[in-house]
Amino acid sequence: MPRIRVGPADDIQPGQPAFVRHGAIEIAVFRVDDGFRAYRNRCPHQQGPVCTGPVSGTLVATADTDWRLAWVLEGRVLICPWHSMEFDLDTGRRIRAQSERLRAFSIEVERGQVFVQVGPRSAPSASRQGT
Amino acid sequence: MTRDSRKPLGLDDVLIVDCDVHANEPPEALAPYIDMPWRRSLELLGRGPQRYLDIPGYAPILNLDPPFPDRGLGNRTVTTARQMRDELDELSIDVGILFPDNLLKIAVFPHVDYAAALGRAYNAWLADAWVSREEGLYGAVLAVPQDPKDAAEQIRTYGADDRFVAVYLPVAGLRPLWGDRMYDPIYEAAEEMGLPVMLHSVGLIHPHFPFNLEHVESRIVRHPINHEFALMANLFTMIANGVPVRYPDLEIVFTEGGVSWVPFCMWRMDKEYAEIPTGAPYLERPPSDYIKKMYYCTQPIEEPERARDLLTMIDLFDGRDKVIFASDWPHHDFDHPRTVLNMPFDAELKRNIMGETARRLFKLPVPVPVA
Repeated sequence: MPRIRVGPADDIQPGQPAFVRHGAIEIAVFRVDDGFRAYRNRCPHQQGPVCTGPVSGTLVATADTDWRLAWVLEGRVLICPWHSMEFDLDTGRRIRAQSERLRAFSIEVERGQVFVQVGPRSAPSASRQGT
Repeated sequence: MTRDSRKPLGLDDVLIVDCDVHANEPPEALAPYIDMPWRRSLELLGRGPQRYLDIPGYAPILNLDPPFPDRGLGNRTVTTARQMRDELDELSIDVGILFPDNLLKIAVFPHVDYAAALGRAYNAWLADAWVSREEGLYGAVLAVPQDPKDAAEQIRTYGADDRFVAVYLPVAGLRPLWGDRMYDPIYEAAEEMGLPVMLHSVGLIHPHFPFNLEHVESRIVRHPINHEFALMANLFTMIANGVPVRYPDLEIVFTEGGVSWVPFCMWRMDKEYAEIPTGAPYLERPPSDYIKKMYYCTQPIEEPERARDLLTMIDLFDGRDKVIFASDWPHHDFDHPRTVLNMPFDAELKRNIMGETARRLFKLPVPVPVA
C-alpha cells in the first residue's frame, strides 16, 4: 500500500492542514486534539474543495443544552467553502447527517514525520502524535 | 472524432449556458455612469464601508442575525468580466447570462428617480465593461419596476444590442407584484424586442410581502420564502392578470427557485380557476396551460434522496424543454454544473437542460460543440 510523506508533524498546526497529492487525489492532513486526521479534499455534496475551508465550531440546541443555542466543537468543525456543509474533523462525518462522510486515510507518525497510507477506502482513522 | 455514446456525458461534451451569474457592481463602479445628482451619492457610498450585499442606500438589507465565525455564506464576488470568464472556464461553462449583485434589491428604493438612474447606470456599465459575444457573456437589461416607462425605454435601447438577450425583473421587495397592470410597458417592450423576461429574487427582510419576515428567527425559513414563495406569488398575479395572454409572444423565465414548486402552482391555480373563473377573466385556457409554457432555471437544484424523483417532477409540468441550467455563480448557494449533469436524465434531456434549450430561448449565436 503506497505511503506518502506529508512532512514534519510540528509543521501541521490546528486549522492549517498540510496537503499532499496521490495521482488525481488530493489529501489534507489536519492536526486535531489527539493527533492527526487525513481526508480527501472533495466534499460529498458537490465535490467542492472541502479541506480548504475554515475550521471552526458550530451551533447546536439539544436537550443537553436545555434547547438553548450552544457553541460546540470549537476547532473540530471543517466547513466546506462552497456551501458551508459541516464535517466533524474527528470522525469525518457530516454534522447532523451522519450517513455522509469524508473519505478518510490512515496516518502514521514516525520520528516526527507524518505519513499517509493511500489505499483502498479506509475507515476514519486517527494517529496519535508520536505513536 | 465522435464521442463514445456508451460513456456518460462529461462537462466538455455539452454546451453549457448558465442562465444566472452575478456581476458585482460596487457604487464607485457605477458612479461614472449615473446621472447627477446621484453621482455624488455613489461617490460617497464608494468611500464608505461596504459589506457583502449590505450597503445602506445602495444594497439595503435588514440584517437582524447575530454573526458566527467562519461561515462562508456569500462573500464571493466577481468584479470584472475577465474574472468571470476565467471562473466560468474553471466550471466548464460556455455562456453566462449576467445579473447584478447589489442591485438585486433595487425594487426597494422609494425614490423613483434614483432607482431609475441606478438602473440606467447599471445597464450602461454592463454594456461598457461586461457583455461580449466573444467571451460568451450576455446581459439581462435591468428593468426598474418603480419607473416602467423608463424601463421600457431601456429595454428598447439595449434590446437592439445583440449582447443583451433578456430582461431582468427584480423580485426582492417588489410592490406591487409583477402581475400588476402598471408593468405593461415593460412587457410590451420586452415582447417587441423579442427578449425573455427573467424574474430573480434575493434574500431580504422588507415590509413588502413575502419579505416581511422580520419576526422569523431562522435564515433557512426566510431564504426559501424570499425565493420560491416570492416567485410563486408573482407567477400567480401574472397568470391572474393575463400577462401570458396579453403578451402571447413574451417568454417568461423564473430563476433561483428550482423546479419542484411548479406542479403545485399549476394544480392549485387550476383548482381556483375552476371554482372562480371570474378571478382570471383574461385567461382563455386553464392556468396550467400557461405555466407549462414558461421556463424554469435549475438552481438551487433539488437534490432528492432518489434522484430520479427530480425527473418525475419535471415531467409533471411537461418541462423537458422548459428547464434550463443556472449556477448562480459566485453566490453561496451556487450549483456546480456537474451536479445537474450527473442527474439521471437521458443524454438528450441533459443537453437540453445544460444549454440547448437556453440557446434557442435566448437566440444565442453559439455553436454546438462537437461531441
